[in-house]
Amino acid sequence: MSEQIVIVGFGPVAARLVDELLPAVRGGQARLTVVGEESEAAYNRVLVADLGVGRTTADALALADAADLAAEGVDVRLGVRAKRVDRARQQVLLSDGTAVHYDRLVFATGSRPVIPNLTGINPDPASPVLPAGVTALRDLRDADVLRRAVDGGKRVVVLGGGVLGLETALAAAEEGATVTVVHNGPHPLGRSIDRGGGAVLAAGLRRCGVRVAGNARSTGVEHNAPDGGFSALLLDDGSAIDGDLLVISCGVRPRTELAEGCGLSTGTGILVDHRLRAHHEPHIFAIGDCAEVRCPDPGCAACRNAKGPSGLVGPGWRQAEWLAGYLTLLAEGKAAEADLLPALPPEQPAVVVLKARGLNMAVAGDNAADPWDEEALTAGAVNGRPRLQIAQWADPEHGRYVKMTTRGGVLEALVSVGMPRTAAELVGLFERGAELPADRSLLLRLDGPDQIPGAGTADPAGTVCRCAGVSGAAIQGAVEDGCSTVAEVSKATRAGTGCGGCHEDIKGLIERHFQAAAA
Amino acid sequence: MTKSADTHCPYCALQCAMTLTSPADLAPAAQPGPGPVPALNPAPALEVAGRDFPTNRGGLCRKGWTSPTLLNHAGRITEPLLKGPDGVHRPIGWDQALDLAASAVRDARARHGADSVGVFGGGGLTNEKAYQLGKFARLALGTSRIDYNGRFCMSSAAAAGMRAFGVDRGLPFPLEALDAASTILMLGSNVAETMPPFVQHLQGARHAGGLIVVDPRRSATAAFTADGGGIHLQPLPGTDLALLLGLSHVVIHEGLADTGYLQERTTGYDAVARSVNAFWPERVQSLTGVPADLIRETARRLAAGAQAGGSYILTGRGVEQHVDGTDTATAAINLSLLLGLPGSARSGYGTLTGQGNGQGGREHGQKADQLPGYRKITDPAARAHVAAVWGVPEALIPGPGLPAVQLLKSLGQPDGVRCLFVHASNIAVAAPDANAVIAGLRSLDFLVVCDFFMSETAAEADLILPVLQWAEEDGTLTNLEGRVLRRRRAISPPAGARSELWIMARLAERLDAPSTYSEDPETVFEELRLASAGGLADYSGIDYAMLDRGEAAYWPYPAGSTGTPRLFTDGFAHPDGKAVMVPVVPRRRRPSAADPGVNAAAGAREMTLITGRLLEHYQSGAQTRRVAELLAAQPEATAQIHPAAAEALGVTAGSLLSVANSRGEVVCRAELSTAIRAETVFLPFHFPGSESANRLTEAATDPISGMPEFKLNTVWVRPVAAPDSARMLQQTEAS
Repeated sequence: MSEQIVIVGFGPVAARLVDELLPAVRGGQARLTVVGEESEAAYNRVLVADLGVGRTTADALALADAADLAAEGVDVRLGVRAKRVDRARQQVLLSDGTAVHYDRLVFATGSRPVIPNLTGINPDPASPVLPAGVTALRDLRDADVLRRAVDGGKRVVVLGGGVLGLETALAAAEEGATVTVVHNGPHPLGRSIDRGGGAVLAAGLRRCGVRVAGNARSTGVEHNAPDGGFSALLLDDGSAIDGDLLVISCGVRPRTELAEGCGLSTGTGILVDHRLRAHHEPHIFAIGDCAEVRCPDPGCAACRNAKGPSGLVGPGWRQAEWLAGYLTLLAEGKAAEADLLPALPPEQPAVVVLKARGLNMAVAGDNAADPWDEEALTAGAVNGRPRLQIAQWADPEHGRYVKMTTRGGVLEALVSVGMPRTAAELVGLFERGAELPADRSLLLRLDGPDQIPGAGTADPAGTVCRCAGVSGAAIQGAVEDGCSTVAEVSKATRAGTGCGGCHEDIKGLIERHFQAAAA
Repeated sequence: MTKSADTHCPYCALQCAMTLTSPADLAPAAQPGPGPVPALNPAPALEVAGRDFPTNRGGLCRKGWTSPTLLNHAGRITEPLLKGPDGVHRPIGWDQALDLAASAVRDARARHGADSVGVFGGGGLTNEKAYQLGKFARLALGTSRIDYNGRFCMSSAAAAGMRAFGVDRGLPFPLEALDAASTILMLGSNVAETMPPFVQHLQGARHAGGLIVVDPRRSATAAFTADGGGIHLQPLPGTDLALLLGLSHVVIHEGLADTGYLQERTTGYDAVARSVNAFWPERVQSLTGVPADLIRETARRLAAGAQAGGSYILTGRGVEQHVDGTDTATAAINLSLLLGLPGSARSGYGTLTGQGNGQGGREHGQKADQLPGYRKITDPAARAHVAAVWGVPEALIPGPGLPAVQLLKSLGQPDGVRCLFVHASNIAVAAPDANAVIAGLRSLDFLVVCDFFMSETAAEADLILPVLQWAEEDGTLTNLEGRVLRRRRAISPPAGARSELWIMARLAERLDAPSTYSEDPETVFEELRLASAGGLADYSGIDYAMLDRGEAAYWPYPAGSTGTPRLFTDGFAHPDGKAVMVPVVPRRRRPSAADPGVNAAAGAREMTLITGRLLEHYQSGAQTRRVAELLAAQPEATAQIHPAAAEALGVTAGSLLSVANSRGEVVCRAELSTAIRAETVFLPFHFPGSESANRLTEAATDPISGMPEFKLNTVWVRPVAAPDSARMLQQTEAS
């Protein structure tokens, strides 16, 4: 007896789930069908912008291979859409007219781009038909569109100051396009970053050749290109930003309509409990961008502060890995064991690391409070819970900015701009929930030149030759006793007889001796 | 009369060439010295000088320079010692000793079966001894239970190399080839401390600004990247695999891969490309703490080096001694294959073998699953060949035994090993979860240890058999390049010490063993040649006369050939001649259980323990701790921590620290250094007793290689108010 598992959607998260389920498929405990709307098997969507600026190839983006999977016994349906789920019959009806039975159904339908309400763009949110010269940069075909613009050195307008928009803008500018980022609010990244970080970030963008139009409200698009395509983005102050390609980067929205259509509960995404099960439906699960972990228990503490889907791939991959373990146990008929599996731990607040070459930035958590903001810092500091503390470093002239928001020495939020090693370290500390050194400036110095150790040693009692353990004093002694070449010193003291790395230092000691003698 | 012998250093796999000379008139035994350093070293019986050789170019490190002081050391064991009922070892004669050992074997066999007798070998044994030990175990003892300390050393890289290339030779190229390279990526290897003369071969890359060192500590080797020498990547402990996947990601996505090479010389590219796709630099930055830009720069440098000058990727124990060590070595190999390095004229991949004969020691049958010539013990053709050389029916050769950690876990167990022979290994200090190992040794019915000092393992033995040191014997070793070297006798051994070859021969007689066991190294080597013929590690074309003429003999060296200085130039050792790329990804680790119940005392902090080596000491320190000069330089274990961690713990340099988890506790002094990450504590593993780092390491093993987890363990660290009595006692014992 084996279970039929059906996965709807074949993006990066689904690909991971398929990978993790392969042992059960090979072992005959599970039969697996995966349904993908696109004609390609899963590819790495995170790198679509890189593809769009010519930094990688479509081949290199592949996360799965349909033929390899078929050879493993997986039923892969590409270019097919799931039209409807019949929960009573446990069937998925597909756009090619076939139906697939499921014992377990996993929604991995992902998300679709948010298309703002602009005159000149079809506002139907479910199936926006974007006019020529406008793209939301979501799939391989969108990447081709961007590629043509970048290769032609065209003018690219990026609408949206989120991290994906900034990454696209930076990459396109570096590869030769003329790029303008249009965003609302005083600085890019909106509420993810604080004012200081946002200001240094915006300056960094400009330094990288990206024009930044802040506090801008867009109202429509103009189609005056010779081919009838996009020619300008119109703003509410009556101005227009001319361009050849508009990249819309205004966030994503979970694709929930299939789930809604079969009566599952949805919030921002498809609502699932801590075992990734749809509410009140033991046969259906959801993972990745389309899933919102929020259990039916109104008293659940973990769910009280839960945010919706993050839009990042990391949490989805962790869900896929966990769910594969759970489904494998179910498929093996070990329901009791599956119930004992510890639930997936709640996700840490998301960390955003800017994927860019010329500009380093990481942010995480709520960075709204300022060091002097007594009210914000003490809010929540009750029942012995320590108050928030903030350490901050701002050097806008050199494009550097760091803010660490801690509680009890552990990071609750961070901003780092222009300081790569500090960013890497802070993100690690944040993710591990590790305590920061009491002297926070240690973290700032990671990027400083004093971190690179100097060569040699000035202290005469110090060791010059580590290999043989010979001090500078011993070498000086040998020189005073008549050694005048490195070889002679080596013979007399063994210094320099190991790795040879100290030969220059020995030579220096000899020269110093004879210079002193001459003088 | 002055006489001299050209030989090689007794310690690591670099096997620096040295000349040993007897002084014309031996100095009288040295005067007892004052102070804390015991005067255990009289004037050395031999003088040592570095000898010009392609690997060490006349260089020696402090360990090599001081090695002769051990020959006439006051603590040398020169008679067989039997432990009395009172626990005291007393001298006995050789006949009695051998009779006792033989009867212990017969006893165990009669009561518990042949597999109740075990053998634990070492990577320090000569090829001849390693070969004969494997034969002795299988035929004279009739046991499958033989393994060796190389399991703690080379097993992960060996398994990865076999899987990818079809053969495992640490460096498949002469060491000198590194000199011309413009880029060298070293992962988890601190050669500046472990084999200092090696560093000469890094200078070319350093001058080209292309020395890239991956180490969570700014080790002495990592410090060579300063001043334009290259790049130091400092990942979180245990994240090397993710870092390597990130490098491969950049190589593929930036079009730096050698596509022609991949097509012609490898299989498995597509699956590897898909698997690294999920490791883009910024994600890897979050996993490893290494900035994304440095990941990109490293990948580009490697690719540029492969085009001009040459690029090499070298791995060491730091990335291999993990429960995912085989996968990490595989990821390094995959990266090298993407760049087209292995088998090319000026580039390559290699792993740095550690122990003196770590290479030869893993080829000739002291591994649980192997027969001589790097043959598989499960391969019928291999069994038939070796059985024919040994002149025994194939059925007499037992099947595969247990890898080291499992073998040690079985000590004293009902179905486990009850009588154990230990050669060239100090498992009471060097094996993981050392407290459990010591308990296992104590639960044995009979323990025989062959050693020349009262090592911590010998101290547990029922019977200690005194053996020879390097300068007292002839033989061959195979260095880290796969080059076979001659070890030559320079001095007569103490009257009561015997070669292990002799011991095996005498025991085999007493046990009425089939086949022959010679005490003459050259005779054994001649048999090894036949046994290895046709195997992966084929020595059949090598003989003592050729080595004595100074010829460079790199295996495989089939009879009639001229050997193989550079492997893979025409193809890899798989049937289709192609290298196999195997996708690997980090698995979620089982948390290493530091028991919060232990040391939950106020002020204890959870930290990550990494272990490693000091320049002055070798392995368990059984030898180097007995060299006065080395002991004076590094007299005790110190725990290296970052000043920020010290501040949080409220300790200063020299304060006593307790480093503990559920497996044990180490008490030692703190050393403050900014070279280490703030959440990490470093301990050298050369010290015994309450300073023994391996009391803390976990005996969890790599599923493929059996390598234990030495480099990533969770510990609680807290200050200790005053030196406690147990520690003081330990100090006394050590001296």
